[in-house]
Amino acid sequence: MKKSVLVITLALWMCAPAYAHGVGFRQSDMKAVTLEFFYSTGEKMSYREARVFSPRDGKFAAQTGRTDEQGRFAFIPDTPGEWRVIVRDEEGHQCEAKLVISDELSAADERASASQSNSSLPQGTELLIRALLGVSIIFNIAMIIRWRSGHAH
Amino acid sequence: MHISEGILSGSVLLAGWTGTSEGIAVGLRKTDTSRIVRTALLSSAFFLASLVNVRIGPSSTHLSLLAPMGLILGWGVFPAVFTALLLQAVLFHFGGLLVLGVNTFIMGTASLSVYLLFGRAVREGRSKSLTVCMSFLAGSVAVLLAAGLAGLCLGLTDSNYLNTAKVLVIAHIPVALIEGVVTAFVIMWLKRAAPEFLS
Repeated sequence: MKKSVLVITLALWMCAPAYAHGVGFRQSDMKAVTLEFFYSTGEKMSYREARVFSPRDGKFAAQTGRTDEQGRFAFIPDTPGEWRVIVRDEEGHQCEAKLVISDELSAADERASASQSNSSLPQGTELLIRALLGVSIIFNIAMIIRWRSGHAH
Repeated sequence: MHISEGILSGSVLLAGWTGTSEGIAVGLRKTDTSRIVRTALLSSAFFLASLVNVRIGPSSTHLSLLAPMGLILGWGVFPAVFTALLLQAVLFHFGGLLVLGVNTFIMGTASLSVYLLFGRAVREGRSKSLTVCMSFLAGSVAVLLAAGLAGLCLGLTDSNYLNTAKVLVIAHIPVALIEGVVTAFVIMWLKRAAPEFLS
């Protein structure tokens, strides 16, 4: 009996720190900025690494995480200025979204401009034009080399 | 498999550009002008392959065609890869211009390695099944080698990237299998339809 009491007392004593670090939650009414990331093919950038840089510190990420299955990522800006969200995959594809948050910290006022990214790529006809342009440049280089070589002989 | 701009250290970037310059110089010296159209054709295929995404579970990747390029072009793969990657960086924002040297070195070396390792076996191809096996191996090894080299560059930049490097190699295992199958198909088709490509 004494042993049982001792064991229970010890167990409760060991659990005490857990009670000291209790956790909780409450619903926040702050407005979040939600972004969707996708490849030039239209495919969503699902479960990709995301980093948020605040206007205060452009070097160290203020928040890190992953996009969801639909390529969405949300964060809550707490200061006005230009915020950057960088999402990248393991293959080196990277999408950087720049958002200017107004003084009121209103998510509705943000101006998003994607840059340095696959998503900034045009789709459809323009993508086709760029692809054809690339192929054309390659063959033009080859023809110039061949022509010059013919002249050399 | 393109490494993005702003990740690698200056010394790794410099080493990449040095290796790439050497590779391009040797490649241009060894490429006969009669094979220049062939080089342009494969460079175009490599350039366009990045637009064809293959879905693997929640992730996706694109074909690289590293092995067919290496097996057909040999040393000529370096100028071909460089031109295609340069255009991908400029037109599609894949990779970047500063990191172009490293990306070319990674893909060029992987491609050239399979030429040196499997080129003879694939060209001579004593039996159909052996050629298929060698082509499949060449395709798979090229992708894994490129992923390994990309991981090495990340690891040399910062030891914190070592985990990313491991993920990169593991993530490319399914791609390597797909690439192996594609390479086997391409080589078998070339052997039948245009054997001079492998000469």
